[in-house]
Amino acid sequence: MSWVVWLAVGVALIVAVFILVLVYYYNRIRVLGNRIEEAWAQIDVQLKKRYDLIPNLVETVKGYARHEREIFEKVTEARERMVSGGSREERMEASNELTGALRTLFAIAENYPDLKAGENFRLFQEQLDGIESKIAYARQYYNSSVLMYNNVITTIPGSWFAGGRQKHGFLEIPEEERRAVKVEF
Amino acid sequence: MERLSFHEEIARNRRSSLLLAVLVSVILFALIYVLVYAFAPAYVVLALPISVLFIILYTYGSYRYGDGVVLAATNAKPAEGRQYQYLRDAVEGVSIAAGIPAPKVYVVESAEMNAFATGRDPEHASVAVTTGLLKALNRLELEGVIAHEISHIRNRDILFMTLVAVLVGMAAIISHIILRSYRYGAIRGGRRDRRGGGIELVVLAAGFVLAIFAPIVVRLVQFAVSRRREYLADASAVELTRYPEGLASALEDIMRGNRGEMKVSEAVSHLFFVDPNRSPLDSLYATHPPIEERVKRLRAM
Repeated sequence: MSWVVWLAVGVALIVAVFILVLVYYYNRIRVLGNRIEEAWAQIDVQLKKRYDLIPNLVETVKGYARHEREIFEKVTEARERMVSGGSREERMEASNELTGALRTLFAIAENYPDLKAGENFRLFQEQLDGIESKIAYARQYYNSSVLMYNNVITTIPGSWFAGGRQKHGFLEIPEEERRAVKVEF
Repeated sequence: MERLSFHEEIARNRRSSLLLAVLVSVILFALIYVLVYAFAPAYVVLALPISVLFIILYTYGSYRYGDGVVLAATNAKPAEGRQYQYLRDAVEGVSIAAGIPAPKVYVVESAEMNAFATGRDPEHASVAVTTGLLKALNRLELEGVIAHEISHIRNRDILFMTLVAVLVGMAAIISHIILRSYRYGAIRGGRRDRRGGGIELVVLAAGFVLAIFAPIVVRLVQFAVSRRREYLADASAVELTRYPEGLASALEDIMRGNRGEMKVSEAVSHLFFVDPNRSPLDSLYATHPPIEERVKRLRAM
């Protein structure tokens, strides 16, 4: 008779272990998923800061170089796309384009000594530089969070508990930025 | 792999900090017991409540205010104003990459290139750099050094290292008092105090405590700047900046430029990025890992 009791205990133990593992992985997947959202929020903060800075920058430059219309349009257009809906990848794409356009804008500014020497302009440049490097670091944190999440939901035993959750996409690093790091030394 | 080692490091630092707190409690208890026994043997039952009070005060105080003590001892000033915007941006950027809240930023006025981090956890942490470091390094090098300090914060090295700093500082003060009273006591005891007893016992006890205390403290400082900790912080820094050359060339600049003349208290020297009191070329009595070796490891990554 006692083997029935042992069997019951055994089954109960296995079920208990299974539930514990399930809870652990459920929570872990949730925590890692939240980390991705938090990482995105960090990027979003920096994108908004940059969005707010640009109109004043454009006004300042316009005061000296009114006829460089093309670049102003490019900057304004990329700025709008950077915050107006779309997927994360699309918004980052717009942000990367904005980075490129701002570089051109600062290169153009080199031709206007008065503008370049202005206190305001230098302040903009410093602030935008700071924001740009923070965007790069935030993107890195985002990507490493995505990597951890993807690793858990695609490997055993995490994949058993993933419940059909899809892998998250990485935010690609733009080509010119990869090169830029190399030439700085 | 990297993730795993950083969680292990956090656990290890928690254990070390706890062990340190227990060790200090035992020493404090012994010290107070001996003092009460020597001065007022009749009140020896009070030794326990008194030492418990002291231990709680000391432990809580160094946990809660240790970073303030370290910042004051190194003369660190908050990095305010536009001239330090660049530094604050770099610290904020690297802490975003590490996934911790941005620590408070301080500067220390000194021509030497150095930096340190202190605090009790990532939510209560500070990073300080010297003005010499800011002046000499470019952005990538500066971010490398900051990433090393941010790694100390993320790995919870700061709590243990700050506790050691407070302990060594306290031990220095206590030793000083004991040595003074020893001289004072020796003169008095020799000439006037015919009763002997009390004072002589104190002198004996103090000497005894000092004798066991000093080597422990020295060992602790060595332990606090363990090579594993520093190499791991270098490796984690590269994980954050993805650019080993930045940190490597910062270390080379420091090796060429630093004279080791910062003259900070030995109690806090183990917190620093490189030894503040000794020239990088002077490897005798070195507490910090050799810079050449750190550069070599970074270049091999």
